[in-house]
Amino acid sequence: MKQLKQVLEEDILLKVTKPLRYLGNEYNAVKKDWDKVKLRTLFAFPDVYEIGMSHLGLKIIYGVVNEEPDYLMERVFSPWTDMEEELRSRGIPLFSLESLRPIADFDCIGFTLQYEMSYTNILNILDLGGIPLKASERGDEYPLIMAGGPCTCNPEPLVDFIDFFVIGEGEEVTLEIFDVMVKHREQRQGRQEKKELLKELAQIKGVYVPSCYEALYDEKGKYKGIKAKMPSIPSKIVKRVVQDIDKAYFPLKPIVPYIEIVHDRMMVEVLRGCTRGCRFCQAGMIYRPVRERSPKVLLEQGEKLSENTGHNEISLTSLSTGDYTCVESLVKEILGSFEKKNIGVSLPSLRVDSFSVDLAKEVQKVRKTGLTFAPEAGTQRLRDVINKNVTEENLMEVAEAVFGEGWIQIKLYFMLGLPTETYEDLDGIVELAHKVLSRGTKILKEKGSNRRPTLTVSVSSFVPKPHTPFQWEAQDTMEVLRDKQLYLRNKIKDRRISFKYHESNLSFLEAVFAKGGRSLGQVLLEAWKRGCRFDSWSEYFHYNIWREAFEAVGIVPEDIANVPLNYEDALPWDHIDAGVKKGFLWSERNKAYSGVTTGDCRFDSCSSCGVCQDLDVSLVLRKGE
Amino acid sequence: MDMRLCLKYSLEEEGCFLSHLDLMRLMERAFRRANLPLAFSEGFNPHPRVSFASALAVGVTSEGEYLDVQLRENIPIQEVQKRLNMALPSGIKILESIAITKRKDSLMALINMARYRVAISLVELVSQKEVDFIISRVISQTSYCVFRRSKRGERQVDIRPGLFRLEGTVKDDKLYLEMDVQAGSQGNVKPTEVVKMQRELSPAILGDNLNIHRLGLYILNNNEIKNPLEIS
Repeated sequence: MKQLKQVLEEDILLKVTKPLRYLGNEYNAVKKDWDKVKLRTLFAFPDVYEIGMSHLGLKIIYGVVNEEPDYLMERVFSPWTDMEEELRSRGIPLFSLESLRPIADFDCIGFTLQYEMSYTNILNILDLGGIPLKASERGDEYPLIMAGGPCTCNPEPLVDFIDFFVIGEGEEVTLEIFDVMVKHREQRQGRQEKKELLKELAQIKGVYVPSCYEALYDEKGKYKGIKAKMPSIPSKIVKRVVQDIDKAYFPLKPIVPYIEIVHDRMMVEVLRGCTRGCRFCQAGMIYRPVRERSPKVLLEQGEKLSENTGHNEISLTSLSTGDYTCVESLVKEILGSFEKKNIGVSLPSLRVDSFSVDLAKEVQKVRKTGLTFAPEAGTQRLRDVINKNVTEENLMEVAEAVFGEGWIQIKLYFMLGLPTETYEDLDGIVELAHKVLSRGTKILKEKGSNRRPTLTVSVSSFVPKPHTPFQWEAQDTMEVLRDKQLYLRNKIKDRRISFKYHESNLSFLEAVFAKGGRSLGQVLLEAWKRGCRFDSWSEYFHYNIWREAFEAVGIVPEDIANVPLNYEDALPWDHIDAGVKKGFLWSERNKAYSGVTTGDCRFDSCSSCGVCQDLDVSLVLRKGE
Repeated sequence: MDMRLCLKYSLEEEGCFLSHLDLMRLMERAFRRANLPLAFSEGFNPHPRVSFASALAVGVTSEGEYLDVQLRENIPIQEVQKRLNMALPSGIKILESIAITKRKDSLMALINMARYRVAISLVELVSQKEVDFIISRVISQTSYCVFRRSKRGERQVDIRPGLFRLEGTVKDDKLYLEMDVQAGSQGNVKPTEVVKMQRELSPAILGDNLNIHRLGLYILNNNEIKNPLEIS
């Protein structure tokens, strides 16, 4: 492959932004002998290098597969538009980073589905690799295309393109899948019969092969669910869960990029899952149960990572690190061993309470700029509806602690368009913001500081997501969302408050692709053909083109995003079993409408969500270890 | 006991695409992986005591880059070099290293000359004699102005005084220019600017394909050229 490398170095890379996105060869990148392995696989991240390389899932899967002598896994990312142009104009097929081979040479390509608005990039990667987009048009000679990640909990919009999906946590099932592929080939002198192989894969727990099912519709053409074509195929696909994450594989020699990436630091995964039970939150439902890593394992992993990467910062990641039952002692010990090496510690997410501020104070000894908190809603009533167990008192405590400790900036996240929201709730946001600000001003004045507090209020729009209590909800129309954004903007007059909000038509499409069914495949194809890609990058998001694509296919996206569903309706993701029972979600929804909260099963009684009972797993807390 | 070192390194292949910031990050990480204890500055935001001689333009390869570094422990020089080379990614390599004994000033303050080799594709074959002639046309100029764009707008710079030496040889279908140009805090002449000058003063024989390689950084003093290791 010397030739491509030369063309890249001499002709192409000087013309594109960030050439090191395309060269691989980073420290700790794994390069294996192509001819000495039994299976060649490719991890495909449908966004740019700097985003993909920040993703912990990639590090885990890349590591766990390359630990196996018989398999190799390489990487590919979405080339930026300038690189795409260079590749297309020269007729160079998209290539992997490690061996610079065309992606069509691999046996299996796995995409990760991190957010709905990256779907067009999947089509673009396949096309740049010269691989037919539709699964039905790919014969035995093409790589199998698989997909995993959180958006597989409604895989239907992608069933036209993906051969099979992996539901749930990937570190165990990925190897089981590759074992089946290798065995299949060994029985056929190295060849594969795609149809047969897919049937074999469908037997693995957590694997969804769309071609083994058919969609059913009633006489009016309304979707009624899917049915397995053969009795040997399971009717429901149950997500995979790793019970003991202390024993689970964790990458201790991750790749160290040449260029700066979004999260340019080492990561330990403190815990998985969250049972706070916020009713809008998909991650809080699909990653259950909570499983903590023991402090001992985390400290060892931190040491190893620092030896192997040389990073000067370590992040204690999870959905809510403040909830880790040993967080204080862990932070203390990590600081103790890393401070003398000038390695900083960062906490990605903070709970709204003064305890979290104390933690932040511990780790953030330098560069005291600001802290971010997410009350999500402006009134107690609405916070109870969404089960965000945060009170105004909590927030005032936080403001007091933050400004009292020398920070001068707070960022608050809210969501617009939550179920049952009224303009009173919006007024609540404004009031809260002003209260926090005036508390800050008072504290700084008392301290004799001449600095002034600043506040950022950032509002996103509610997107109903599958497998949450709000999966049946309608999203506010774009007009309503825009009205609400304007309303807030006009009410927040204080110049010390900066107000930020998201593009409402992007949230609208997100809702469409989160909730929609298999008919959306045509829309996706149409939008991609008309030039859509990098939709989550505002400079490349073309809402008008998306509109044209919907029109061309004859789908009204408002019918998906803005219409509420009933309990009896067949949901496009009903065959995907994320562990949390539909009955539990519905009862949570009803509790939302009566403003009743539900406790966290780590501290209160079991809320019977169904995960531990049905998936044969259990909550793991490390308190006292 | 702290020790100060001067390291000479090369940047080839992917190394030539590193920005100056990428390189700073990369070096700090390599020292950490090699378990070589970097000394840090004091203050609220300590940074490692590593200072680079000169930034290299993205896309330019080099076999003569330098940096100074301070370590918190005394470690044999060869050991430092060996461990560091094992911890560096592909594309960057330590070539020589010495302990700084006499030099007080930073490399950045001292270096005032860079040597480059530029390969230019030729659109037609030319003899060495013709090359000597077109080089002499460049040398015989007393001034040559280029426009440089900066944040404050465009300004005109005479690069001829900063071009100290220029030689050319033809090999296969390429013209190889070797040049000594001004570099460092007093001003920089870019090899591309010299090529531009060469283009304007030559018949149309030079192609578009350029390959720039830095041979080294030097201290020019009273017509004497020394490399940074010699004066450290």
